[in-house]
Amino acid sequence: MTVFQIAYKNLFRRKVHTCFTILGITLSTWVLVTLLGFNKGYENSLNNDINGMGFQIVLTAKGCPYEAATLMLKGGTGLRYMPEDIVKNVSSAKQVEQTTSMLMHAEFDPNKGENGGTTVFMGIDPSTYPLMKPYLQFKQGGWFSNWSENEIVLGFEAAELEQREVGDLMLIAGSDKEYKVVGVLSRTGTQDDGMIFLPLKTVQKIFDKEGFLTMLGIRLNKDANANAFEEELYKLPDVQVVSMAQVKNTIMSLVSSAKAIVFSIAFIAFLIAMFGILNTVLMSVFERYQEIGILKSMGALPKDVFEMILIETSLLCSIGSIIGIIFSITFSKISEFIIRYFLPFAPSGNLIDIDLKIVIVSFAAITLIGITGGIYPALKGAKIRPLDAIRSEN
Amino acid sequence: MKKFLFALFLIIAAGFYIQVFSAVGCDLNDPDRDVKRFFPQSTSYKTDYFSISKLGGDELLKEVEKRLDDKFQGLYETIDVPYTLYTIFKDKEIIGYIHGINQKGLYGGLQVFLVYDIKGTVKNFYYQKLTSKAAKEFRSENFSKQFMEITLNDFKNYSPKTAQGGSSKVLSIKNPNTDDNVDFQATLRAVKKNLILTDIFVFSKKIK
Repeated sequence: MTVFQIAYKNLFRRKVHTCFTILGITLSTWVLVTLLGFNKGYENSLNNDINGMGFQIVLTAKGCPYEAATLMLKGGTGLRYMPEDIVKNVSSAKQVEQTTSMLMHAEFDPNKGENGGTTVFMGIDPSTYPLMKPYLQFKQGGWFSNWSENEIVLGFEAAELEQREVGDLMLIAGSDKEYKVVGVLSRTGTQDDGMIFLPLKTVQKIFDKEGFLTMLGIRLNKDANANAFEEELYKLPDVQVVSMAQVKNTIMSLVSSAKAIVFSIAFIAFLIAMFGILNTVLMSVFERYQEIGILKSMGALPKDVFEMILIETSLLCSIGSIIGIIFSITFSKISEFIIRYFLPFAPSGNLIDIDLKIVIVSFAAITLIGITGGIYPALKGAKIRPLDAIRSEN
Repeated sequence: MKKFLFALFLIIAAGFYIQVFSAVGCDLNDPDRDVKRFFPQSTSYKTDYFSISKLGGDELLKEVEKRLDDKFQGLYETIDVPYTLYTIFKDKEIIGYIHGINQKGLYGGLQVFLVYDIKGTVKNFYYQKLTSKAAKEFRSENFSKQFMEITLNDFKNYSPKTAQGGSSKVLSIKNPNTDDNVDFQATLRAVKKNLILTDIFVFSKKIK
């Protein structure tokens, strides 16, 4: 019988001990893999959301930058407006490849829900907006016939909620006219899914905001110096420049404090796992004091005992890590659901992105830490003197 | 080994649960508040999710369409729509049910909720969501009280296709705004569909 076989069989002799130790390692691995996956997934999703916006810089009316970021990414309220003339100033700049004007309006609808509710409408320029967002595909129909028609394009979820299809009519709070649905977008996984799009001029007219915009999206030429152009834009009166890099940094800084807390918890989970292993293996060494003594009296060398105990530890860590990794992958959707519930802002897409690198790093980290925890008990076992052990009462 | 595979299947199924129900359902906006409003004596409630695809598939869909006397229509009235049933308790005793469905209206989706007693009699009716020029009239108490004490039997012979039939109670339900017949008929279809589905989810299992 080899040392490995003895070590393997030993695990089944104290099943409850073994199970609880594996459970502790499993939980630690689960937390670690999920956290690393979240770290990667959140940033990727945020990048995708920002890249999906189709423009690098947004001009908004002066106000709180967080409000502006929320406005763009999630559809905020309490909107501020800027004059439409700004488009002429900006579009003529040589660094600009394309601009698109947007007017977002939040209107209270007394018939939405039992006590009323707010509906957000997005007025867009049909000649430029689709060019900025080429990823928008239609499930039915297409964009507006021109930019002042009483026509509506619905995001996938908005259409589902309103049970609308192309050709159906809709009412808009604040207007007594009927609006025709001309397009239903396919699901994008972005905030566009819940949006009700109308031609810009139509929104300006309905809500008495003629000559005003809430946002101007700017796409720069490839060789343009974005920082220098941003500096130029800062000179414009009463507007705020929000670059996508700024938005990303703002959100990432908000999330980083939450991440620091979570990583601290993961570190504690790490320590608990390590000391758990140390405790379990040490206990098993003490419990098997006489047995190890007999093994040594039969010819086992200290090296063999050390090896046996370390193999036991390695097996515990490997099994626990593998189960933890399986759990973290299997339950990633549930973990994501919970994280989304608690996070103030979560981008669309996969928040938890577990790849092979994360799996390998987590497995190696947990197994190494576990083995480190097993070294002391293994040394202790290796030093047991056969005669002392056999004479002892336990 | 079989036990292990079954456990693994359950775990994987739980992991994908959120993805399975992708179609839009009809939940109460504020269940705690709404349940107390309709059942002030209630002490708790339970939420169950059903779908025709899971309960019986195409065969059940055909049965529902036959009983409804109308086909499921459009992009959103599909076999996989999740339905949310609220079972209301007073201590351990069931005292009623609340169930809502989405229905296509003239200008938007209607969310029609019915409140049932334990025998399946309608005790309350309300629109959680309604977009109509005559919204005020449709939401009025005069309109909603016409659905009180209605049962599935009253709607058994009502045909949404022809908007005719039904018991004297159904025939006596008056349109609150004759300019909007589409939403009125959509409401009656929604009520019949709600009664049929609740019968399938709850009453046909227990009472028959």
